This record gives sequence, C-alpha cells and structure tokens, in this order.
Amino acid sequence: MSLRAAVDKTKAYLCLECGICTGSCPVSRHRDAYSPRLTVEKALLFSEDESVHDPEMWSCLTCGTCDLRCPSTVDFTGFMRSMRERARQVGESGVCTHADTLAALIDLQRMPGFRRQASWLGRGAKTRSRSSTYYFGGCLPFLDVVFKEIGFDGRGIGNSSVRLLNQLGIIPAVSEGEVCCGHDEYWTGGGDLVKELAKRNVAAIKKTGAKRVVFSCPECYHMFKHVYSEFVRGMGLEVVFLLDLLSEKMGDIRLNSRKTKVTYHDPCRLAKSDDIIEEPRNVLKSIPDLELAEMTRRGKDALCCGSSNWVSCSRVNKKIQVERLDEAISTGAQVLVTACPKCNIHLRCALRDEDCSGQIEITDAVTLVAGSLGGKKRGR
Amino acid sequence: MLDAGRHPRVELLAYSEIEGLKRKGGKFSLKVRKRTRYVDEEICNACGDCVSKCPGKAPDAFDMDLRKRKAIYLYFSQGIPAVMTIDSDHCIYFTKGKCGVCKKICDKGAIDYEMKDKILALDVDAVIVATGLDIFDPTALTHYGFGKIQNVITGLQYERLINATGPTGGHLHRPSDGKLAKKVAYVQCVGSRDLNNCAYCSSVCCMYSIKDAMLAREHDPESVSYVFHTDLRNVGKGFQKYEKRAAEEYGVQYIRGRVAEIEDGPNGNPIVWYEDTRKRKVESLETEMVVLATAAMPSRGALGLAKLLRIKADKYGFILCPPEQPADTSVAGIFACGFCKGPCDIPEAVSQASAAAERAAARIYEEVGV
Repeated sequence: MSLRAAVDKTKAYLCLECGICTGSCPVSRHRDAYSPRLTVEKALLFSEDESVHDPEMWSCLTCGTCDLRCPSTVDFTGFMRSMRERARQVGESGVCTHADTLAALIDLQRMPGFRRQASWLGRGAKTRSRSSTYYFGGCLPFLDVVFKEIGFDGRGIGNSSVRLLNQLGIIPAVSEGEVCCGHDEYWTGGGDLVKELAKRNVAAIKKTGAKRVVFSCPECYHMFKHVYSEFVRGMGLEVVFLLDLLSEKMGDIRLNSRKTKVTYHDPCRLAKSDDIIEEPRNVLKSIPDLELAEMTRRGKDALCCGSSNWVSCSRVNKKIQVERLDEAISTGAQVLVTACPKCNIHLRCALRDEDCSGQIEITDAVTLVAGSLGGKKRGR
Repeated sequence: MLDAGRHPRVELLAYSEIEGLKRKGGKFSLKVRKRTRYVDEEICNACGDCVSKCPGKAPDAFDMDLRKRKAIYLYFSQGIPAVMTIDSDHCIYFTKGKCGVCKKICDKGAIDYEMKDKILALDVDAVIVATGLDIFDPTALTHYGFGKIQNVITGLQYERLINATGPTGGHLHRPSDGKLAKKVAYVQCVGSRDLNNCAYCSSVCCMYSIKDAMLAREHDPESVSYVFHTDLRNVGKGFQKYEKRAAEEYGVQYIRGRVAEIEDGPNGNPIVWYEDTRKRKVESLETEMVVLATAAMPSRGALGLAKLLRIKADKYGFILCPPEQPADTSVAGIFACGFCKGPCDIPEAVSQASAAAERAAARIYEEVGV
C-alpha cells in the first residue's frame, strides 16, 4: 500500500493537528523527536521518500492510546504499520532488541521438521489431540529460553491456562504444527510472512477439529480476532480470551484464600482494542481474601508497558516502564498482575533499572488464579 | 421573560410538556400535561416562608449540584412564574407520609398535596420550538477525570461559582477544599469537534471561556488563566478584539493544543498534560482548578419531541430548518429558533426568536387582528 493509500484508509487526512495524540503518547512525553501528530503532518506535506526513511517511526509502541482519543478517528497505529511496510520495502528496519533472537524464534518454528511437543505444558495439564476447543500457547515455551534469567515462566502460564480450562471441564487440543502468531512481524510492517504463519496456524487448529480457540496472550488473541481475516478467508473459528471465558464461570471453580494486595496492569491489546477491562479483574476478585488496588491510570487510560515488537528498546522505553512500575508500587500492592506475557517480561526487566522506586512481584493473572486451585468450595 | 409573564395576552404554561399533537387542516390540537407543583399558582407569591422551614433536601440542579436546595423550592430567583414547587421525590411528606410543615406555615393556603397533573387541550395555529440545550456529560472522557478529580468542573459549574447568587457568593472556592483557585485552566472542545461524540463545533465555548477567565481576574487580581484550545473560533463582530483584550489586559494565556490527560496531582491540584503544538513539545501544568468547556447539545428530550411533532431532526436532535427559511421546520406552522436548531450564541438566538415569532404571527394576524 502506498503512503497515499494509507492516508485514505486510515483517514489521516481528517487530522486537525490538535495534538491530543502527541500529548497522550507515552513515548512523546519522554522524547521530543517523536510525535504522532508530526508524523501524520509530515506524511501529508512531504513526499513518501522523505517519510519512509524517518527513523522515528520505529519508536511507536502501537499501544493505540492516540487512536482512542483522536477526535477525528484517525487510525494512527494502522497508518504507522503501513508506513513501516513501505519502509521495509526500501530496506529500512527498526533496531531489533536482544540481538534479534526473538525474531529468529519465528524462523526456528518454520524450519522443516520442527515440531513443538505437547509436553511443554508440563504436569497436570490435560490436553488431547482432538477437541472442540483449542488452546493457543504461542511463543510461551520459547520465551523462557531468553527470559528465564529474569524469572519469567512462560511454560507456567501455559500450564496454568490449561489447568484452569480443565477445571471448567474442557480438555483442549494442542498441536505440534502451531507456530508464532505473527503479531510482532505484522506490527513492524510484515505481510507475506504473517500470511504464511496465519495459514499454518489455522490449518493446524482445524486439523484438531476445534471450533473455538482460547488464548492466554492478548497479542495472539488480537491477531486471530482482528488481523487473520485479512489473510485467511472464512476462518470459521470462534476466538476467546481465557480470562474473558473464566470471568463468567469463576463460581464453578474452588479456590484457596490468598491474603495479598494486588494491582492489575491492563495490556493494551486487551483493554484498548478489545474492551476486556473488568473481566480479568472479576477473575482476580473471585480469589477469596484477595484485595485489588487500582492504579490511577486503568482500563483504556492505562499506561503501556513501554516496549513492543522487540524493536527500539531505549532509555525512553525504560523510563515508561519505570513510570508504570512506580505507579504500581505506589498503590501499596505486593503483586503486580498482568494478563500479557510481554508486559510481564518488559516490566520484570525494568524492575532491575536503577531508577525504579522499589520492588514488586510480577505475575500473570492465570498463574495467580491457578496457584489458588484446589481449595474448598467458597462459602463453606 | 418578565414581560411575557406579565403580558395580558400571554398565558405561560411552565413545568408542562406536550404529549400529543394532531393536525386539523392548517391548525394543531395539542395535548399538554401541566405537571402539578402541589402549590396553587394563583395563590402563591413566592414569599419563601415554606422554604425556610422545609426539612427536606435535594441537590440543586440549577446550581449544577454544587449545593442543596429544599424539597419545596423556586427553580431560580428570577424564574417565571415566581411560584414554589414541591419536589415529590425528596419531599418528606411524599416519601415518608408525614411532615406537612409547608402546608402549616403557608398562611395563604397555597399548598395542596392532593393536586394532580392537568391535561390541557389547546387548539393553536402555530407552534414554536425553542427547547435550547443541555451539556455533554464529560464523565465518558475518562482521561479528563471528571467525577473523579474533584477540582475538574464543567463550564456551567464554574458559571455558578463565579455568580454572586451562586453557592460560593461569586468567589472561586474550589470544590475539594474550599481554597480560592488562583491558577485555572480552561479546556476547550470537550466532546465537541469530536467525531466520536459531537462532531460539530458548539460555537460558544471559546468566547465564554475567555469571559470566564476575565471574570476570574476581575474577582482576584492574582488569578492566572490558561485557555487550551484546538483553534480559537471567535467569529463575530468584535470577538477578535475581545480575545486580544483578554490576553493584554487580563493576562489570559492561550495555549494551542487539545488537552490529552488530566491527572490528580498533589494537594488536590489537577495536572494538565498536553502538547503545545506551537512549541512542538509535550508539557504538563499544575493548576488549582480545571474548567471543561463541554459540548452543548440539543436538550435530552429533543429527539422525542421532534418525533412527536413529526418534524425533521438530525441524529443529535437538532431541528432541521432549510437555510432559505431558517425559522421553518419541515411541517408548515411549526417553527424553531435558538440552540435547538443548531449551535448559536445569545444575540443570534434572540434574532432567531424574533424571526420565528414573525413567522407564527403571519399565520394568525388576520384572526387576532393585531
């Protein structure tokens, strides 16, 4: 898509230059050089050649705060994606973090003969090769390889998710043919590779006879819900976020009491793009004796975890992360709960930053809930 | 208003609603519900004895809920007709079945708890719709924190604070702690010029915010004001001059940039986050109070009324009138004027009202013989 076409598609031409996007942008607060408003303005005024070489385009977190507040309903993140697509076509790219290891994981999963084993889910998680419900674990087992040293436990999140599904009487299918959902590739401007990943995933899931796919990662959920239809015609799969599914059924699950004060960090893909805000909180509140303290910026106004797509991780990103951690710590909570493995990793990493005001335990909501499993029926 | 109230040939039916309209030839027969005040309008002279003794309390809608009024009340001091009304939702006699203080105290015997709504049938030649405006509820714009941050108020609440008859006697005592607010931010386009809410420009906010800022300085020479705007849309004779005068003589500062977020800061001071688009820089400003210039929209009942009268209205409820006949609705004999047909300021609403009155008079002058 040319930049001109992207302007039309994302309605960037409606921009009033009011500046609410830049004022709301978590990056712009710490970095004057990056401004969503100026990015659009430049694209409208200058030639495509000038825009596609702008290194600032890789600073966008695609968190979507600007999209939500824009009075002209400009789809800025969509515009940014199209711009990155054009930039990649002329050989530009963002600076990859972790020496590009995480992008290499995709290539690893695409290698001929590569199969992920169901055993990654660990003990106590019952799965089948055929079921009407499929559990999509995405990159969880692979992330552990890189992030175990900061205490991230992706396999634990997968294990907890499946055990919670089992509690609801659902034994989900998993597949050896599942690959990365393609979220990061898509949002950094990728196309063909995303298409390939989408097709492989949908084929692998259909092979298990599943009609419904359950996710514990908001980014995978986002891809299936909003992006895959662009690449796979008539997907015919119901997509559900695990915490959304659980929120209605927590009464059926017996949980042990847990006397802890927690706070909940809204992942952007859940809260900002899909309005899943109260459901994770309801799940947490169903743990007996658990106290939920709220940060002032919550729901659609929540601050992004500060890093995305494994590109451009700089001092600015650290500042955003530390800002969020400080906000969480100031609630007096002992545990910061999130529902996205990526937020989990990024915030854990920032805990080691010297500017961080204190320490807080970080965990995924499903891990926390599954940790309370096996209690007596509530009310007894 | 007073002239209309005293005119021998004008009958006021305040506190009444139209419930039905039938067209008969070129005329209309209206069904009007005149709501009961539980007070005889012919007898009551608004002396206020009942108000001083009434034990029931309710939020004062005219004062934008900034203070309480009694359950028997006068809507506002210059209201026409000047008669009391009992708010049966908050009256102790109606809610608990005993009290009756107002009835005992009224030596004119104006109170009647048994009074019912009256349904009136009126045959008229013309109808003029002048239902005015309501304001947009800014609670939905969660990033502005209205309803959560105490010192973030609406323009209409500010109007009550700065008004001598208002709850603070005209001093800017802010809601959180009663401290005088000396550093005030005025935020433009709250819900207006916003495709997700009111896509149109409310047209009056830039001017009234500047006026508000000037008033603040008149009341307190130490006051500092900041007007955050998308564009200052002061289009009228002398408006530009007014804008300039506010900056030069009253120290009003204009900052171009739509406010992004309002944060609850220390000591109840709201912190405003914005991009100053002239400087191309994201900044924050700690203020003592923030005034939101909320979008003005047609009255909440406007769409329902349009349906009842079978006149055309747009999706917001603005009554549609063709540009070449600006007072005429889509039904002959029904006219409209003021904010109910589109954003306008007071002088414009007054001239529109004259136009609508003329158009209505043309239908009846032979019969009435004016």
